[in-house]
Amino acid sequence: MLIKKLSLSNRLFFAVSLVLTAFLGLSAFSLNSAFQVSADSAQHKRLKNYVFTLLSSAEFGDNGLTKIPEDLAEPDFSIPNSGLYAQITSGREIVWQSNSSLGLFIALPDHPGPSNEHYSTVKLNEDVTLVNLAYGVVWENEHGEMFHYTLNISEDINTISQQKVGFQLSLWLWLGGTGLMLLIAQALILRWSLRPLHDVVVDLHAIETGDNKRLSDDYPKELNQLTKNINTLLDHEQSRRERYKNSLADLAHSLKTPLAVIRGELEGMTDNSAIQNATYEQLNRVSELVDYQLQRAATEGQSSFQSPISLGDIIHKILNTLDKVYQHKHIQNQCEIDHNIFIHADEGDMYELIGNLLENAYKYCSKTVVIFIQLHNDNIEIYIDDDGNGIPEHAKNDIIKRGKRIDSQVEGHGIGLSIVSDIIDAYQGDIRIERSHLGGARFIVTLPK
Amino acid sequence: MRILVIEDEVHLREQLTQQLKKQNLTVDAAPDGEEGLYLGLEYAYDVAIIDLGLPKLSGIEVIQQLRNAGKEFPILILTARGRWQDKVEGLEAGADDYLVKPFHIEELTARINALARRASGWSSSMLNCPPITLNPTSQEILNNGINIELTAYEYRLLHYMMLHAGEVLSKTELTDHIYEQDHDRDSNVIEVFIKRLRDKLDPDKTLNVIETLRGRGYRLTLARVN
Repeated sequence: MLIKKLSLSNRLFFAVSLVLTAFLGLSAFSLNSAFQVSADSAQHKRLKNYVFTLLSSAEFGDNGLTKIPEDLAEPDFSIPNSGLYAQITSGREIVWQSNSSLGLFIALPDHPGPSNEHYSTVKLNEDVTLVNLAYGVVWENEHGEMFHYTLNISEDINTISQQKVGFQLSLWLWLGGTGLMLLIAQALILRWSLRPLHDVVVDLHAIETGDNKRLSDDYPKELNQLTKNINTLLDHEQSRRERYKNSLADLAHSLKTPLAVIRGELEGMTDNSAIQNATYEQLNRVSELVDYQLQRAATEGQSSFQSPISLGDIIHKILNTLDKVYQHKHIQNQCEIDHNIFIHADEGDMYELIGNLLENAYKYCSKTVVIFIQLHNDNIEIYIDDDGNGIPEHAKNDIIKRGKRIDSQVEGHGIGLSIVSDIIDAYQGDIRIERSHLGGARFIVTLPK
Repeated sequence: MRILVIEDEVHLREQLTQQLKKQNLTVDAAPDGEEGLYLGLEYAYDVAIIDLGLPKLSGIEVIQQLRNAGKEFPILILTARGRWQDKVEGLEAGADDYLVKPFHIEELTARINALARRASGWSSSMLNCPPITLNPTSQEILNNGINIELTAYEYRLLHYMMLHAGEVLSKTELTDHIYEQDHDRDSNVIEVFIKRLRDKLDPDKTLNVIETLRGRGYRLTLARVN
């Protein structure tokens, strides 16, 4: 639940911070342990070097070790409490010890045997802990006597711990500093990359408050598709709202005419049947106007959000309906539709468009109605032919008056074709009336796919 | 002819009932889908008029359930919005015709008559069984061109028998199709009406217009001219 509520930038920030911390922590750990291992092995190597220095400067006689020179190559051996100590033992007896270790400790207990080395940690007292290398040596004199010695070289553990602590400190400082810088950089990058999203929110808010009509066009390409779609949706909504408003205004205006006529009849005439006739006529008109404006307001129009619908399905359903209703006329219909004709349009609009055209054809034909649909240059062309009396040349323009309100149209043609005209307008299509080879009218509707 | 009207608007329902009765039709009316469906399943109708926007059970559902139950009487749907999608849906559900509100009552009765005729095999708008002709629109009956006056129930009976000319019609069936649901029925009355029809249509007793089939019912013997 909590995760769901996190903002995008917080999600990214948490995730990257987590990865960063884990990464830096692991690097610190591995660097640290690598350093420990190499520091330890360097120490062991150093201690061994001291052993060989000691051995090379030692002199042996018939009775074993005779002398070790005072001035050893390593001055730390001569300085008391220097942290570097040497002791040579034979059995439990201290044979020799460096000046630095005088009075510090008694014999070290380790005897690893000839040519063997043994590393150990010796806790001398509360303050001093030593890392000790015990190295076994056997000296054989000319008489074949064997003398066993153990060379102990000890170094204060503090020398190496201090190195380690120093290393760790600088390691943590560096890694911490790098981590912090990375976090800051990451926060800045996030802010910068998510900025367009923030802009969209501000932009949308401006639309909400009415300061803006649509989103601006300059967004990064990842967002552009989204903002473009939002804009299309906004435009679609806008035009729909306009249409509602216009239809309402048109309806209100167009209703005034029949009302005025009825009023005029009532005021001017006393003949009941004349008033009745006029009222009937105007009532029909009112009813048609209501139907027409209702349909106009409901027209969806073109929008990229519409999924493709099959014109064939709609036509077959409407033909079935009309065949049932016009059973008594025994109409033959022929239907030829290019394979797979789909159109991005509102289903309701297409039902109205084709329903009204086909019903007209069924109404005015004598026996035959032919429907032909083809795809032509990305346009869908619908031909509807009938074998009726056709439409006289001079009436063609009156029947389909583009962009005119129904109350300004010639009376008597019903509202069907006005609705058809309106829908075609909403889809930026076209309608023509020609003479059909069947003798009647041919309606040609062109719609963009 | 017995008509079922399912319409939820009180005014329109009462107006329809009255005007259809004036046309000498037998009318039962229901205010919602459930009651309408009950009537449709329970009684024999010649035509049903069903509004699409009904409470409790939509018009489409009523039509579907009537058709599923094997009821074959013609159905005319009324729609307030003349949307093609509604019309197509209604006719796919099993209706036979549609009418968009508001409509002229003459238009409605013409459609009802046409549907009833079609359902009983008539194609012309006049029911013509020479020498008798019945005009359902004007409710005129001519015998050899001479007008015959009938009472309301006599007309209903003759109208139904002419629609089904040549078929054997039981007393119960005849009662069902000329009386409303809540009417006091007495099948003996049918015998009286039949006798009166015989007297009025064939005063000379030469035609044997209606024959009695013992235990089965009655049959109009005149041949249809379609």
